[in-house]
Amino acid sequence: MESFFSRYRNLIVLAVALLLQVIGLAVQVRKPSAAVSAAGIPHPRPDGPGVLLIRLWATSLVTPFERTIHGAGQGLSGMWTRYLDLRHTQQENKDLQATIDRLRLEQAELHEDALQGQRLQALVKFQQSYAYQTLAAQVIGTSGSRQSRVIYLDKGTDSGLKPDMAVITSEGIVGKVRDVFPHAAQVLLINDQTSGAGVVLATSRIRGILRGNAAGQPQVVNILADSRIKPGEPVLTAGGDQIFPRGLPVGVVEKVERDAERGAFINVIVKPAAHLDTLDEVLVVTSLEAHLSKEQETDLAASEDLKGPEVAAAAAAEEARKKAALEMEQRLPGLTDPNAPAPATVIGPDGKPMPGPPPIPKPLPVAHPDRFSPGAAGGTVGTAPTTDGAAPAPEVAEPKETPKVNPKPVAKLNTPANSAPNPAKTKPKSPQFSGPRPLGRVQ
Amino acid sequence: MPTLISDYRRDLEIRRYPTYIYFLVPLAALVIQAWLPRVLGRFMYMDLPLLITIYFALNRRSPIHGTVLGAILGMAQDGLTQGAIGIHGIANTVVGFLAASVGIRVVVENNVIRMMMNFMLTLLSSGIVAVVVRVLLGLDWHSNWMDELLRAAGNSVIGAVMFPLLDRTQNRD
Repeated sequence: MESFFSRYRNLIVLAVALLLQVIGLAVQVRKPSAAVSAAGIPHPRPDGPGVLLIRLWATSLVTPFERTIHGAGQGLSGMWTRYLDLRHTQQENKDLQATIDRLRLEQAELHEDALQGQRLQALVKFQQSYAYQTLAAQVIGTSGSRQSRVIYLDKGTDSGLKPDMAVITSEGIVGKVRDVFPHAAQVLLINDQTSGAGVVLATSRIRGILRGNAAGQPQVVNILADSRIKPGEPVLTAGGDQIFPRGLPVGVVEKVERDAERGAFINVIVKPAAHLDTLDEVLVVTSLEAHLSKEQETDLAASEDLKGPEVAAAAAAEEARKKAALEMEQRLPGLTDPNAPAPATVIGPDGKPMPGPPPIPKPLPVAHPDRFSPGAAGGTVGTAPTTDGAAPAPEVAEPKETPKVNPKPVAKLNTPANSAPNPAKTKPKSPQFSGPRPLGRVQ
Repeated sequence: MPTLISDYRRDLEIRRYPTYIYFLVPLAALVIQAWLPRVLGRFMYMDLPLLITIYFALNRRSPIHGTVLGAILGMAQDGLTQGAIGIHGIANTVVGFLAASVGIRVVVENNVIRMMMNFMLTLLSSGIVAVVVRVLLGLDWHSNWMDELLRAAGNSVIGAVMFPLLDRTQNRD
């Protein structure tokens, strides 16, 4: 027996090592590794304590060195760019000086407009943007495996990170926090094959689940073939997965492929908005509740202050518009100017008064006046009956005899109470009324 | 007697390294493997932990050493992923055992043989990973074999450069 073990000890060790690992795999996949939510989005189950311990060891072993390499790389890069790589610096300096001179001239012209534009732009952005609570973190490493699209952040539980927090950049979503360690966190990218995020196509409003494929491209899976899906269509988060806030950009449709296994389904390949291969800094959404910082509250108060002058300016403009409209009404044709001087009597060369301007036409007195007849209310119209319509000279010399015309004829003529001066309406068939209407042009 | 002679010859050919090399080199391989994708992006056609497993297995010529080192490095690789622990562990275990077994029978100082072994063993590792994921775990896992071929070629080239450098760290009696 002893010779058997000594003879086959290599194979025995191999078999034991493989057996232990297979048992370990069996323990890990005893239950489905990913629970599926009602929306069909997989949520990975948390690891067991033993598995988590191995991950903790591996992460604790690797991330400090990655952090050191990251810091050293940044330091060396800074040293190179600041002190060593100074070729063409003099020429660049001259060019920059010329650019500064030109920009100074432009700055003087654009200063006021730019300030106003910036204020308004900041205001609009503030009103339209989300105000979720986020935490900035630096990417310090990856999984190192092509089959596993995972990155590591330099923040962990000590910074308040928790699993299933969304990780985004200003361009779009990146992934979600999977495991959190004291000083590091593992983020599962959206192009990993085990990831899942609820998304919606912006134009066609088709919802689906986003996950990665073997080539590391995110794709929307399990959707029926639809001719409305075109390349270039934006893809947004749907918000149903309780991880990513609704409406965040995911990317754009790159191409549509038919599912090889299920002919009726298609896979929509998405070009991610965030540069997943070259991530440096990301934001971790630590709370989905809107949170306004002090600065944002200050901006909000400033925006409210800006509304005061705007409202006053709008009221002043409205007042000016009304005033202009009133003046226009007063200058309408056919109206008399109450401030105009009285026409003087013209004396002829023989010492007699010359005939004045054409007489003011007056309606003939009605045979049976009523309350609608001109002058029935005690007016002066029709007090000097004539037969031919020609007015005597004294009437011309006395402007007081001129019938007073309503300065707002249109408005008042539309009212029944003021329609009395118009005999054409009141007595259209009167045989005695043959003269012009009283609202004729007055000289 | 022949056994004694064989063991004696094998002991003469076994290369030994300072103890810290067994810790530093695998650790450096893990760190670099996890850090380089940030620089190279999707052109990361290499698997440094696998290369280290092959190197020490070939030069130690001990299947047990190769098996244990492969298992440890593979599980450490798995520890950095979101997948189950043991996927790369099983693959590296088998590769370490085979590399040590082959190292007993062939001359491993030749660079061409080293490149060929790196190429073949890297492909074997990819195949084992695919089998473990699809058969043992029953997961729907798609892999791009062109990428695997490029990774095997990358491992061959990097191994041709790295192995002579690591040879310098061995103990000289």
